[in-house]
Amino acid sequence: MLKHKVRISVVALLLLPTPRYLSASDTRAGRLQEQRLKKSQTLQPPQRSSLEKYLYDAKEQRFLERYQAGWRGFHPLFGGLSTGSGFAFGTKFQKTRMMGGKLDLTASGQASFKEYQKYELNIAAPRLANEHLFLSFGFVQRSSPQEDFFGIGSNSQEKDRTNFLLEDTRYEGTLGVRPLRNLMIGGRGGILNTNTASGTDNRFPSTEEVFSPTTAPGLDQQPDYTYGAAFAEYDSRDAPLNPRSGGLYRIEGAQYSDRDFDSYSFRRMDIELQQYLPFFNQRRVIAMRGRLQLTDTEAGKQVPFYLLPVLGGSEDLRGFREFRFRDNQSIVFNLEYRWEAFSGLDMAIFGDAGNVFPRVNDIKLSEFETSYGFGFRFNTAKSVFIRLDFGFGREGTHTFFKFNHVF
Amino acid sequence: MSSRIFIIIVWVISMSTSVNAQKFLDDDPLIVDDDRLVDVGAPLRRGLSDYYDFFQNTFDTPGDRTRTGALNANTLGEVPDSSWFQNRHGRKRMTIDELVRGPNRGDGPSRDGVWTVTDGKTEGVTPGFRIRDARGDVYLIKFDPPGNAEMATAAEVISTKFFFAAGYNVPENYLVFFQRSDLVVDPQAKVSVGLQRPREMTDSDLDGILSRLDKSPDGRYRAVASKFLPGSLIGPFKYNGTRSDDPNDVIPHEHRRELRGLQILSAWLNHDDSRDVNTQDTVEMEGGRNYIRHYLIDFGSTLGSGSVSPQKPRAGWEYLWEPRPVVRRIFTLGLWDSPWIRIKYPDLPSIGRFESKVFDPTQWKPEYPNPAFLNALPDDRYWAAKIVMSFTDEDIRAIVGTGGLTDPPAEDYLIDVLIERRNKIGRHYLNDVSSIDHIALDDGQLKFEHLSSVYGFSPSPSQYTLEWFRFDNEKDEKTFVHTELISKNSGLPVPPVLQKDSSPYFGVEIRHETHKVSVFVLRSTSLRIVGIERSSNE
Repeated sequence: MLKHKVRISVVALLLLPTPRYLSASDTRAGRLQEQRLKKSQTLQPPQRSSLEKYLYDAKEQRFLERYQAGWRGFHPLFGGLSTGSGFAFGTKFQKTRMMGGKLDLTASGQASFKEYQKYELNIAAPRLANEHLFLSFGFVQRSSPQEDFFGIGSNSQEKDRTNFLLEDTRYEGTLGVRPLRNLMIGGRGGILNTNTASGTDNRFPSTEEVFSPTTAPGLDQQPDYTYGAAFAEYDSRDAPLNPRSGGLYRIEGAQYSDRDFDSYSFRRMDIELQQYLPFFNQRRVIAMRGRLQLTDTEAGKQVPFYLLPVLGGSEDLRGFREFRFRDNQSIVFNLEYRWEAFSGLDMAIFGDAGNVFPRVNDIKLSEFETSYGFGFRFNTAKSVFIRLDFGFGREGTHTFFKFNHVF
Repeated sequence: MSSRIFIIIVWVISMSTSVNAQKFLDDDPLIVDDDRLVDVGAPLRRGLSDYYDFFQNTFDTPGDRTRTGALNANTLGEVPDSSWFQNRHGRKRMTIDELVRGPNRGDGPSRDGVWTVTDGKTEGVTPGFRIRDARGDVYLIKFDPPGNAEMATAAEVISTKFFFAAGYNVPENYLVFFQRSDLVVDPQAKVSVGLQRPREMTDSDLDGILSRLDKSPDGRYRAVASKFLPGSLIGPFKYNGTRSDDPNDVIPHEHRRELRGLQILSAWLNHDDSRDVNTQDTVEMEGGRNYIRHYLIDFGSTLGSGSVSPQKPRAGWEYLWEPRPVVRRIFTLGLWDSPWIRIKYPDLPSIGRFESKVFDPTQWKPEYPNPAFLNALPDDRYWAAKIVMSFTDEDIRAIVGTGGLTDPPAEDYLIDVLIERRNKIGRHYLNDVSSIDHIALDDGQLKFEHLSSVYGFSPSPSQYTLEWFRFDNEKDEKTFVHTELISKNSGLPVPPVLQKDSSPYFGVEIRHETHKVSVFVLRSTSLRIVGIERSSNE
């Protein structure tokens, strides 16, 4: 402050009028020239505050751009593990357009403070045949030591909360065509190995302490699967990670075959519809989603409890805990009104409705659970990087801090 | 009293009264401020942080906010030519050829031989690189964002020419077309990739940059080639304060009329990026002395272009961070909002978002507060509005034609929008103060024009009141000697009582409606107008 005042005073002195007897001229130009000559006696190099210097260096060193670009293909990762995993971080290695621009390679490893882990490797050729054909092979291994389980069915009780360890490893190949720019049709297949064990969240009992193989099929034995699926997807969203217009319509049918016990084979159908209706220069968006997950088995077979469709948590029914409801069928509808508060923050109010049911014929609107809430979406034009949602439902208020967008 | 206010008071005292109270000095009105007389030596390059610039201007109030007239305006209210500004179209009409040529002194990068790429960047949303042509001239090559062909390049070329004609120093920006085969990578070229240190640039790096761009069916790329400024680059100037190592820089920038008035030109052209980091000081030599010249650069975010995408709907209407509308939006669930939210833009990808129907020049804002703009007073805005109005429809059409827009409806739309925005500016600011102008004394007869009515923005005043006065320059005192009501604005003789007078200065106050203009005349070998003062409604 003192330095600042001294500087101001020096400048002020320099600007003081020159007595007439000293004046070189009574012209405007002469007076200006006198001021300039005076200033020339006390020139100082430009000064910067330490904050300005720091921010300047940050810009000059292009920290942000280099962060986005990564280091030799490595990028930091935040979040992105299964819901309820807690704060997660890791790294991703990505190398794109190898072998003449045809091949992309991605490998990543992540862990959370709750000891969730995820390792992934994917080799993809997404631009074959003039971008009409895509092909990929991947491997994913996950460990989720505190997966919640409340029992099967919509009548399960919150007080029955338990947790278990879920480990799965998936080897998968995908082949598809892109006949139109937004349309993909293809199939995928592979091997899925699963395992469960006692949960590590000591606040709640482990699942096997409360539930039995009867009430939680697959609790005592976890099969490995081979599976195959066919899918079709039309995606016209303008920015998939922060959509403001367009829609996503996807349907997939899959067959999971139990290779070990011949007791847990099942079929699964996933249908998801998203639509975004922008108005007011896309600063307001009505976002809608409907999602239906159906499973089916042959007589005498069951879907393991940990592979059942699930509802609850930050991604769908936000007035309830993660994994709150599991059953053979799930259906959920989400409606959000999003509005821009300022560049970088969208607000949202939302309503969710849905439930799980044992059979398709059991689905009744009157039995839907509902929740509502509001949220803050910190974003760029292309993606939401932080989401803070507050959901309210009959089981209380739930706060979700996520590094992704909801849909 | 803050030290800033103290400085300004001292400055005003020193410039306007000095040790005597003379209002007018011998060389008034100053037509040229030769701010190159003191050798600046070799000043260090000063880099500015745009983050800091944003935070400082958004959450602080840098510069002096004392409400005072522009300190560098001459006694006629005009801006003397200087290293900051050269009066061009606003003082003397440029020909259409001159307007079209703008600052360009050549034809752009030489076509004799290939262009050598000397460096590039792969990160960020705006790919680009530098080239050196066969003449050794260096250019920065800038492109349109994918999906908006012609938008940013046209905006850059067009706005460069408007700002140049207005009087500002700007780079030579050329619209160029080239093919991959026109480029070779310099063996010494460097490229920055990710967190690695800059490394040697390869053909593959260049191909990677070009792969992110749209190209025409014949394989050509369209770009702006921005010629490197002459002299050595020493970083941006700030819109407040003075440069501590430039002896010629003695007038706080927030009190310079050409920087205050830039707000109006920026509003016209939607130059929302008018901030420190889009300026550049260079050290140039003249008469064996180094001096600093001050440039405006980077007009990619003007008109409907936001450089890397169409201009954001908010741009020009609201600062990046402005608490009041944000709070209102949050708590009204977005049901309350500013007019910009409902503006409908035509689907013209080469234009982006630019319109004139809802445009309100008094509401226009840059991306964040600009100290010079905040200090602008009605006479600063009047000065700038006059320059904006100096561009006729034909001028606008000619300059827009240099943007290389290939869609005729898009080009016509841009011209119409610029004309309507110009007229809105003129309609407001030529009525904000008295627009009596082009004042002259020919053969002892006073004449003037009422610009607002000349442009059709208001009816011509039916009557003027002329109050003639004798003026004591030492005491800054008027003694009124004659009053008359007139209904014409030419052939008005100086009253006999002043014709026979021996005092060196006299003048006349011209009143109409609520406005007033004071004109000061010096008797020398002939009658010479040395001062004009306007009243304002503020």
